[in-house]
Amino acid sequence: MKTLARLSFLLVIAPFVQGTCAAGSIELTASPAEVVLSGRDARQQIVVTATTGGQQIDVTRDVKFRSDTPGVFSIDSAGILTGIGDGEGTVTVKHQGKTISAPVRVSDSHKPREVDFELDILPVLTRAGCNAGACHGKARGQNGFQLSLLGFDPEFDYDALTSEARGRRVFLARPDQSLLLRKPIGDVPHGGGRKLQPDGYGHRLLRRWIVSGMPRRQSDGLTLERISVFPSSRIMSHDAGQQVLVTAHYSDDSSRDVTHLSAFQSNEGAIAEVDENGLIQTSHITGEAAIMARYMGHIAVCEVSVPLEEKWAADRFAKLPTQNYIDEHVWKKLQRLGIQPSSPAADHKFLRRASIDIIGRIPTTEEAREFLGDDSLDKREKLIDRLLEQPEFAEHWANKWADLLRPNPYRVGMKAVLNYDAWIRDSFRQNKPYDQFVKELLTAQGSTFQEGAVTLFRDRRSPDELTTIVSQLFLGIRLECAKCHHHPFEVWGQDDFYSFAAYFARIGRKGKGLSPPISGSEEIIYTSDSGSVRHPLTGDVLPPRPLFGDAPKLAEDHDPRIALANWMTSPENTYFVQVQANRVWADLMGRGLVEPVDDLRATNPPSNGPLLTALGEDFRYSRYDLKSLIRRIANSYVYGLSSTTNKYNEADTRNYSRRYRQRMRAEVLLDSVCQVTGVRESFDAMPPGSSAKEIWTHRVESLFLDAFGRPDPNQDPPCERTSESTVVQTLHLMNSENLYRKVANDLGLAALLASSERSSRDIIEELYLATYSRFPQDKEYEIASALFEESPSSRRQATEDLLWALLNTPEFIFKD
Amino acid sequence: MSLYHNCEGTTRRNCLKLGLGGIVGSGLVDMLRLRGRAASEGSSSSAKAKSCILIWLDGGPTHYETFDPKPDAPAEIRGEFDPIDTKIPGVQFSQHLKRLSAIADKFSVIRSIRHNHGNHGAGNHYMMTGAPTRIPVGCGAFVSFHPSLGSVTAFHRKSNNGLPPYFTIPRMSRSGGPNFLGAKHAPFVVADDPNRKDFRVRDVALPKALAEDRFTSRKELRNLVDRMARINEPAAGDPVRSLDEYYRQGYDLISSKEAQLAFDIHSESDEVRESYGRNSFGQRALLGRRLVEAGVPFVTLYEGGWDHHRQLFDALNKRLPSWDTTVATLIEDLELRGLLESTLVVVLGEFGRTPKINSDAGRDHWSNAMSVLMAGAGTPGGTIVGATDPRGYAAVERVLSPENFASTIYRKLGIDPDRILYTPQGRPVHIVSDPTPIDELMG
Repeated sequence: MKTLARLSFLLVIAPFVQGTCAAGSIELTASPAEVVLSGRDARQQIVVTATTGGQQIDVTRDVKFRSDTPGVFSIDSAGILTGIGDGEGTVTVKHQGKTISAPVRVSDSHKPREVDFELDILPVLTRAGCNAGACHGKARGQNGFQLSLLGFDPEFDYDALTSEARGRRVFLARPDQSLLLRKPIGDVPHGGGRKLQPDGYGHRLLRRWIVSGMPRRQSDGLTLERISVFPSSRIMSHDAGQQVLVTAHYSDDSSRDVTHLSAFQSNEGAIAEVDENGLIQTSHITGEAAIMARYMGHIAVCEVSVPLEEKWAADRFAKLPTQNYIDEHVWKKLQRLGIQPSSPAADHKFLRRASIDIIGRIPTTEEAREFLGDDSLDKREKLIDRLLEQPEFAEHWANKWADLLRPNPYRVGMKAVLNYDAWIRDSFRQNKPYDQFVKELLTAQGSTFQEGAVTLFRDRRSPDELTTIVSQLFLGIRLECAKCHHHPFEVWGQDDFYSFAAYFARIGRKGKGLSPPISGSEEIIYTSDSGSVRHPLTGDVLPPRPLFGDAPKLAEDHDPRIALANWMTSPENTYFVQVQANRVWADLMGRGLVEPVDDLRATNPPSNGPLLTALGEDFRYSRYDLKSLIRRIANSYVYGLSSTTNKYNEADTRNYSRRYRQRMRAEVLLDSVCQVTGVRESFDAMPPGSSAKEIWTHRVESLFLDAFGRPDPNQDPPCERTSESTVVQTLHLMNSENLYRKVANDLGLAALLASSERSSRDIIEELYLATYSRFPQDKEYEIASALFEESPSSRRQATEDLLWALLNTPEFIFKD
Repeated sequence: MSLYHNCEGTTRRNCLKLGLGGIVGSGLVDMLRLRGRAASEGSSSSAKAKSCILIWLDGGPTHYETFDPKPDAPAEIRGEFDPIDTKIPGVQFSQHLKRLSAIADKFSVIRSIRHNHGNHGAGNHYMMTGAPTRIPVGCGAFVSFHPSLGSVTAFHRKSNNGLPPYFTIPRMSRSGGPNFLGAKHAPFVVADDPNRKDFRVRDVALPKALAEDRFTSRKELRNLVDRMARINEPAAGDPVRSLDEYYRQGYDLISSKEAQLAFDIHSESDEVRESYGRNSFGQRALLGRRLVEAGVPFVTLYEGGWDHHRQLFDALNKRLPSWDTTVATLIEDLELRGLLESTLVVVLGEFGRTPKINSDAGRDHWSNAMSVLMAGAGTPGGTIVGATDPRGYAAVERVLSPENFASTIYRKLGIDPDRILYTPQGRPVHIVSDPTPIDELMG
């Protein structure tokens, strides 16, 4: 009987056999094609699609709905159908002279039903935002009332509602006096305002639950298994709408329309926004978006594509030049969106771009002359090969990794940081395969005075601190959320987090630990015989378990970290190669296929999935060789595109139809300024002549690097650095004494040129080559010559002024 | 490393220029952040405080030898100093606070803030941000898990005259940064010593050897040689356009007479300069007043050297008299200029110090009790909030938290501490988790 009552609430959606009516060029389709409603309050959203010329358009909000049998059900203008009395009937849909109808069957419409806390009440509280992170779901609750975030811990929430606050929240004897009913409708003052309509769907359900004695679970043990969305993908026009339908599927194969209880979000709000009712709205911008629907920890995604309406000749994209698979994937994507790529960049731009990307500085005057004067067809390819062999390559890329790894010396000690830095640099100098780099780091043992890599375990001392950094850096999986609650956008829960953390449970430490601010002592990291991680809620000891895939077997005397490293670097683990491929791609291309670069998840899909997959496979196939990955990307046609837009790709910021400009990062810019002016920087704690990218700790003082951004070594989780501009930066470039002295230095470039026998025209040419890696154009000779003519008495001053001006322009500051 | 996203979020200016959020950002998160911002702007109409000067005594100043003497405690707790009467009957301060005692009717002292983060890294973070550190950190830590009081103020308030909205003098404090609010809300650091004859504000003043007319011609030349094409379509999110904006702001700041005047401490009379004390701290306080006069909403004066583990009395005998002069002069001078009504002055460190004097004649870290001074912006004069026990071990009356302290500052500045900000990951964060201010100080 109970089972029946439970089922009676459920709404069964017939398989999506579409009721269609083809007339003229428009074809209407209602989804679902047949509506079966059981039980009081059962409802169903109808979505009507018009198909015309192969294009599908959501016309739900334009059509006229009519209930042919008002005694059986009603339907509103938004297409929401609600049962009224038992019986069979039809719903009629009219649009532009076309009519279709679908059968509706309503049963048990007055049958009392039992409410289940987990399946019925938590969704209402979640949808109303009661357990959101900003309200009662935050760690300290709100005004003494705390719920688990988004309902991840039903046990806790049930207690909070039924046992706390001396029973005032729910009051069985006089249900209407329950705070749970009075607060959300604003009947008594509520800090969060009115969250439910009095006597609306959610409110009625809450009341019924209280009246029926606040059951925790129904005996049938029905569970939510998954949710699905309709449509799961759709090509949409600009400035168009699409209603999403969310269906929950249960363990007994039944399903319900939960659109009205779901939360929605778009990963590209500028291209397609979605409102709280699941209505997607596209903008004037061409591109793609993933619309995520979330219902009680389950997630489903609707992929929206908004192409340009331009009609291109069929072979237009096939004719685009292709240098490797990267181009194929990018052209395929551009074809789907109808976006035309920019033309290739000029040689000097390519030279500058490749130098900055690969060795972290702009080309010298000589390098620029040589490259610009080279007529060979494969000069770009040769340039890339040559750059990859420069010693600066290792320093530049080690500097990037040091950003992510290096801790604060005040915390772990100078020696540990120095050794760590040396280990990172040495790895890049050897061009150590990436899997080996990660394995060595994750399984490091020994003394902080000898083994640089163990500094990771001196800095991160608990299994959970290690879990967040390791999963984010090497898998692109952000587990931070799952430490304290179920990840709101992902599948990860506390089980996953602490099972993963268990791989770090047996790290032993001998010697003196941290003793800030000096922390100068030696510490030995080794594999201990014991150690375990417990689930914070259940207190159970958790055995090590990977996030997905098979658990590698562990021998008793084995360091669990070895099993972890093997799992992470195994061929099945696509995250491992993809996050690194994405990071390198983002560095070279100005934007990651996934952004943020280390946040790979179903709800944050890559802008070009096949390309990311291919890059990852390529990286693995090359035996994790960073240089070959860089070589592949830099040799693609797409890498060499200009940043100049055409009328079709102006708004493209995701599909690589053009070059995306980037400000040079702090060390690259400083090293380039030193190179151009011919005046080196002198750093504390570094040998004379060191470049900025060789600095081993951010505690080496540099106003320049501070202004242009160095990561905070205390940030947790580690942070990709910011490339934004600030007024502090522009002021520093304009006015700092240091820059002034570099430009005016008696042994610097300006002084040398001015005192030479060379003509002013030659000086101008030298300055342009030094800063922009190109020859000046006629107009530019003209501007600069005027400067030299104005003050013939001071060639030096004119040279300095021109150098200063060039250093302060975006053509110098940006990688274009 | 990429242009579009980072831990600090999307370029605000880009978003504002583009009119809607998501174009350069990641959909929902940016929309939330922008909505949060839209709601936050214009919230300061009822604010009493236009500005705040926060004097940070780094290391943790002793409460015994400043605002909470315990003359009846045993000698090993009482210490070497005697209490003195203040202008408020029944209220005593320690012996070196002569000037402040004489104007005790112009400010309030809170004697009952306590927390349990007794090391510099965590204590600084808690008091500077109103939020405890998320993970335990050590003394040497310079950590940031939450935006600082100054950065949150900078996020909400514009400055005038091209001046940045948040200054810290002479250095960045440990947790005084913007965290997820982004580099634009980081403090502008004035590292140079205003007590020096040749004091000028780095980067805002032209290089010493560069004549002004030469700078002007350089600026014109720069406009001529800058020929890189900009992408005008807003949706392209061309970062060069935001650089242009920052060059414009930079020029504004350099050419703003008001701004340059604010930095020109040399234009103060000798009398005024002497009254603040002719030392670095004194002149920084004077510079702070000048910045507030010019409309800067938040100024931190970061004063190191208060970690008196050894020889506390010797050190304070030397230090406190001039420190007392500076703080008292600042309050009086602000009042004299009619600025105290709109300027909140706050003096504190990360915690108080241990009751028992240690074997090195010092006191160690003690977060069970501390004293905080607040003046101006509607803060009643002569009020002592809360109390410690007779031996100064712990706050026992009207026990308050760093959250109450931070909420008081925000309320006075017209910023709702209960407001939700969104991190670039979309995580909602209250500015202060407990938004209750200290009512006695709200006026």
